[in-house]
Amino acid sequence: MKLGFLVDLHLCMGCKGCEIACKVENEVPLSTWRLRVKYVDVGSFPETRRTFTPLRCNHCENAPCERICPVSALHYLDNGIVNIDKERCIGCAGCVMACPYGAIYIDPETQTADKCTYCAHRIASSMMPACVVACPVEANIFGDIEDPTSNISKYIQQSQGDVQVRKPEKGTNPHHYYVGGGNVTLNPLASHRVEGYSLFNKLTHLPIGGHH
Amino acid sequence: MVHESLAATNAVVTLDVALPSVVWGWIITMNMWAKSVGTGVIFMLFYLLKKYPNEASSYRFPVVVISIVFIHLFLFFTVIDLHQMFRFWHIFFHPHWTSAITVGAWMATLFVGLLFLLAYASFIKKDDALFDKTLTWTVVLAIPVTLYTAGLMAQSTARELWQMPTESAQMILAATLSGSAAMILMDTYFKKLSYEAKRDMGIILAVSALGAFILYMSELIFGPMKAEEVAATLEFIKGHGEYTTMFWIGQVFAFIAPFVLVLLSISSRSENLLKLAALSALAGLWVSKHVWLVIPQLLNMS
Repeated sequence: MKLGFLVDLHLCMGCKGCEIACKVENEVPLSTWRLRVKYVDVGSFPETRRTFTPLRCNHCENAPCERICPVSALHYLDNGIVNIDKERCIGCAGCVMACPYGAIYIDPETQTADKCTYCAHRIASSMMPACVVACPVEANIFGDIEDPTSNISKYIQQSQGDVQVRKPEKGTNPHHYYVGGGNVTLNPLASHRVEGYSLFNKLTHLPIGGHH
Repeated sequence: MVHESLAATNAVVTLDVALPSVVWGWIITMNMWAKSVGTGVIFMLFYLLKKYPNEASSYRFPVVVISIVFIHLFLFFTVIDLHQMFRFWHIFFHPHWTSAITVGAWMATLFVGLLFLLAYASFIKKDDALFDKTLTWTVVLAIPVTLYTAGLMAQSTARELWQMPTESAQMILAATLSGSAAMILMDTYFKKLSYEAKRDMGIILAVSALGAFILYMSELIFGPMKAEEVAATLEFIKGHGEYTTMFWIGQVFAFIAPFVLVLLSISSRSENLLKLAALSALAGLWVSKHVWLVIPQLLNMS
């Protein structure tokens, strides 16, 4: 079994329900996010559109964070999830530097690395990740990518030619797919970031782990 | 490349979370700088003992002390940068061998052990034969200890700017640059080296500075032609970039000024110019290392 995620960006309407559900389920501290939805506006008036992209850990098959972790705090579970042992983590931030997707942060409360675990604790109890449950349009499809009869496998089959991963050139083999994505939604360098994009006015950078 | 892409997409991020600040900052710069000195002086002692055995023989113990001090500075800054510094022992009890951090920590520990053996051989036992035999192994180990940070930077997959071949060369050149500079400055106090020996240190310093400068300029000019992320990263040190001034201050003090000063000192046999070159190189190295460490971290990853 190898668990994976697929987000159909045609369906996502940017309600941020998944973001909030994740925050609540995992008690993610203020100023940090395991999952976030990025809004990017494209085009010039009147030909404009807004895109929404949920961004979380990709649970890569060849995870740079797992490789660089000096104490195996980041480790694979049998189901393919890249999990984190916060009791073992020494907070070296090597994983933060290694993750090409910016998905790992230093938890300001525990002073250890943290990230999306696909709600591994819920999966262990045969429940879906909190973000999947919260999505009102079922844009998040989660399941076993090795099982051809799973919803995610069927979705990937049906959407062939339109399934993408972020930064495939990094060779990380993400287990997180997007349907309906494009350069603007998946490539952070393809859009301008001007001051004021943040949830907090004029606050563009946050301190790591509350200090340093 | 980046600008063309931006112009074509005409896309603007309108709502997102704040970006993280710099993760590895001045503490890691101190770490790299101190390690360069700590291993660099060992390389230089080995060279001097081979080429100028009589003059360098009295440097056995002082150089080992300098190396011990700087390697412990390196270890100190390594530990205090950990967000959970009192768990650093996990590296030894839960080692993960694919990590350059783990391999580096073990090698650095072994290196420290050899340094103390050198101190024992030179200060307590006063056995030059034992010292020289141990020094050979210490020099061999100093090479991977110098290089492992390049491995760590290479394993930082997200930071395209840091590539193993270039960073390896930069780490070795930083060690020879700072090691030769430290030896020149040390000799202002001990006054044991002949002019020829000091000139050799100056030449090593100048060649290291030239090599490192060529590498930085190569990255600056040709890096953006190969990768979009490198191009975006180097924007921070080009034109009116956030770190442009600091980058050039580093280049001038670490490489350009020392190179010119060494040439002038050789042509005029001026030892003062050599000392000035050494001071400039040590200060500039910190600045140039810091800029190269920070700029890839300013890039948004998602």
